[in-house]
Formats: sequence, structure tokens, C-alpha cells
Amino acid sequence: MLARSCLRSTRTLNGLRNGANNVTKRAASTSSGAANEAVPTRLNVAAAASTTLALGSMAWYYHLYGPVAFASTPAEEGLHPTKYPWVHEQWFKTYDHQALRRGFQVYQEVCASCHSLERIPYRSLVGSILTVDEAKELAEANEYPGEPNEQGDIEMRPGKLADYLPSPYKNEEAARFANNGALPPDLSLIVKARHGGCNYIFSLLTGYPEEAPAGTVVAPGMNFNPYFPGTGIAMARVLYDDLVEYEDETPASTSQMAKDVVEFLNWAAEPEMDDRKKMGMKVLVVTASLWAMSVWVKRYKWAWLKSRKLAYDPPAESKVRH
Amino acid sequence: MGLWDAFTDIVESVTPWSTVEAEAPAQEQEEAPEADSKDEEEEEEDEEEEEEEEEETVDPKEQIEEECKNAPQCASVKHHFDHCVERVQQQEEDGGAKEDCVEEFFHLAHCATDCAAPKVWARLK
Ligand code: HEC
Repeated sequence: MLARSCLRSTRTLNGLRNGANNVTKRAASTSSGAANEAVPTRLNVAAAASTTLALGSMAWYYHLYGPVAFASTPAEEGLHPTKYPWVHEQWFKTYDHQALRRGFQVYQEVCASCHSLERIPYRSLVGSILTVDEAKELAEANEYPGEPNEQGDIEMRPGKLADYLPSPYKNEEAARFANNGALPPDLSLIVKARHGGCNYIFSLLTGYPEEAPAGTVVAPGMNFNPYFPGTGIAMARVLYDDLVEYEDETPASTSQMAKDVVEFLNWAAEPEMDDRKKMGMKVLVVTASLWAMSVWVKRYKWAWLKSRKLAYDPPAESKVRH
Repeated sequence: MGLWDAFTDIVESVTPWSTVEAEAPAQEQEEAPEADSKDEEEEEEDEEEEEEEEEETVDPKEQIEEECKNAPQCASVKHHFDHCVERVQQQEEDGGAKEDCVEEFFHLAHCATDCAAPKVWARLK
């Protein structure tokens, strides 16, 4: 289309050059006199050549960079998790804090023996998961190094709200030693640190099949999990039905515990989410109000202009010429 | 998910007839006397189920995914997986598997979890 209209306009220009009289005739008919025959042909060749060059370069580019090389097999890539309808991922929903409370219980009773959560202080649990008294009690159950005494020795003191949750191992080496060389990662930011986030971790925790599919070779000490890239994970299945007893009497099925602990881990990685959404809503409310105001102000300011009436009031006929 | 829910949320929050329930709504059983006998039967059944649950929790995800694997939409991937398992087991008997069924397993698991996801969420708290 573009090419055609370009061609036509150049032809018109040609016509202009040859004499304005012929313009309409030239533009209307393609075969116009043997003398001018060569010109459209040459133009057609140029257009065809440039188009071929353009298409050819695209094809060449696609040939070089188009196909993406997948160096890994599907097993190495891992099964991509299904998307679950997490309520807290909706725009105007908060975390379910009852679920957070259950999830924290699951973390404490199941995961805390292997995984640290070292970026979470007790104080941040207050108000969102525990009451002050519960958090204080929990903190006091652990010992932390205090101030040096008069001899310069550091004594242990009971924990305070400002302390961070204790880690199960002293250091990475100890953690690896206890887990056959595998390092259980810190879970504070794990939801943000893995592709698929909540869906991935939920699928990982609930996705251990009863037996690995036929023909798979699972390395000694490893467990088959389709969602873990490579499918061999050092963490065995940890969640089993009725492993914990919830205080709110929710049936503690494997998937219920996984859902709760994942929501809790999402909170751990993103404790500001509830406030962020509240702020977002404030922004929407304020901008909506400002917009409404600006519309009213505009109407007010334009009122005189829009409602004016122009009338031509001709002067009375007079014999005098001005 | 996001946008539509956002709108329905806003609409719900400004409609005067929407109610906020801090507690579970009162049960309306008394208002429907003609359905009483039926309800009682159902209640009895419910109680039985609850008793069962106290003995052993069933994992809704496992249960629903199992149903999904046998559902028509997963029939073809299930067929491929079963076929692969059969083939590989034959190979193992003949002295060593030449392949594995991981890919077939992935397709089946993907189909089953996809089909189960909303149903599982409806069952979980
Ligand atoms: C017996 C110790 C143990 C327990 C209990 C345990 N894990 Fe793990 N976890 C591990 C080890 C070891 C790894 C490292 C696996 C690997 O790299 O192969 C791991 C890895 C992980 C990963 C990272 C997977 C990845 O993609 O790298 C997550 C997430 C995780 N665990 C979550 C949990 C949660 C949630 C719980 C509690 C419900 C839990 N774990 C309980 C030992 C444990």
C-alpha cells in the first residue's frame, strides 16, 4: 500500500516535470506512451530491490538470532508451577492474618529446624502475627549475647523484641554438615528469590510424588521433585497430613500447611504489602478527587465562554459611506 | 484475576445493601421447615464426615489431582504417561531402561494441577 502510493506520487511528480497539463492523465493510466515506459519499470525495480533487501535482512536476522537455543532438557528446567488463586495477590486484598499465624506455626514447628529466617525480628511479628505478650514470651525463650560485664566477658541474656529469630545452625559449614552437604537457604526472602514465587514453593512442598516416574535416576541422598530444577532435591518431603495441630482447628492437611507457610513466607519477604496497597488506594482516591475537582473547575472557568452568544447586530442602513 | 476483582470489590463496598459480617452468618434452618427432614439427614452425614476427618485428614490437593488425572481433559497425557511407564518397565526387564518418563510425568502433572488449582483453593482455608 505504502509502496504503491509512493510510486504514484513520484509518478505525479514526474508528470509535473514533464508538463503540468498531463498530470491527471498520467496519474490515471499506467501505460502512457512508449517514451516514458522505462521510468516506471526502473522505479519498480528499485522498489522490488529495496523490499527484497528489507525482507532478506529480516530473514537473515531471524536466522541468526531468532530461534532460542534451549540447552537444558525439560527435567533440567524443572516443571513450571501452576498458578494458584492466592487471595493476597489481588489488588485490594490484604494478607489473611489468620493464615499468617498458622503459617508461622508451621515454620516454627517444621522448617525452623533446618531453615533460618534471620531477617525477621520478633518486633515485626507483633501486630501482624502475634500479640506483644506472645512475641515477648517467644523472644525470652531464646538466649542472645548481651553487653560485656565488668570483666569483659559476654554473658547470655534472654531475648528481647528487638532481637532477630535464631538460626538453627552456627554457620554455613555446620548447616551443610548436618544436611549431607546441601545448604538449606535462608527463607526470609525466598518468595522473591525464586521464579514462580508462592506458586513455586507451594508446588515444591506439596509436589513430591509417591514414587519417581519410571526410568528416572535419583542420586543417593536426593529426592525426586518435579518442580526443583534438575528434579533431584536434597530436602525430602517435610509436610505430612496432621503434622501440626492448629489452634484454630483448621484441618492440617499437607496442602493447608503448605499454603499457610507459603503465605507466611510471602509476608516475611514483603511485610510492607498491606501498607503498600493501602497507600495505593489512597493515591487512587486522591487522584480521582483531584480529577473530579479539575473537571468542575474547568466547567466553572469555561462557563462564560461556552454560554456566550455572538450576535451580529448590523448598523442601521445609512446613506453615508464610511 | 486482579482487575475484575478490584472492580467488584469497589462496587461491593459502595453498594448500600452489602453487609459486613464479622461473624459467620446465622444459620437459616428454622426458616425452611419443609426442608427440615432433609437437613437433618444431611447433618447426620456431615457429622459422620467430621468424625472421619478427626481420625485422618485427607489432603484435598492429592484427592482432587487424582480425580483430575482421570478426567477427560487429561486423558491423552495420562495415556502417554501410562504408555511410557509400560515401555520403560519392559525395557528394565530386558536389562536396563533406555529412557525415562519425566517429560510425560511433567505433562500429566501440569494438566492435573491446572485442573485442580481452583478446586483445591475452594477447599482450603
Ligand atoms: C530436614 C531439614 C529441612 C527441613 C525440615 C526443611 N527443609 Fe527446606 N531445604 C532443606 C535443604 C537441605 C534444602 C536445599 C535443597 C537443595 O539445594 O537441594 C532445602 C531447600 C528449601 C527451599 C529452596 C528450594 C530451591 O528452589 O532452592 C525451600 C523454598 C525450602 N527448603 C522450604 C522449606 C519449608 C517451607 C520448610 C518447612 C515446611 C522446609 N523447607 C523444611 C532442608 C530442610
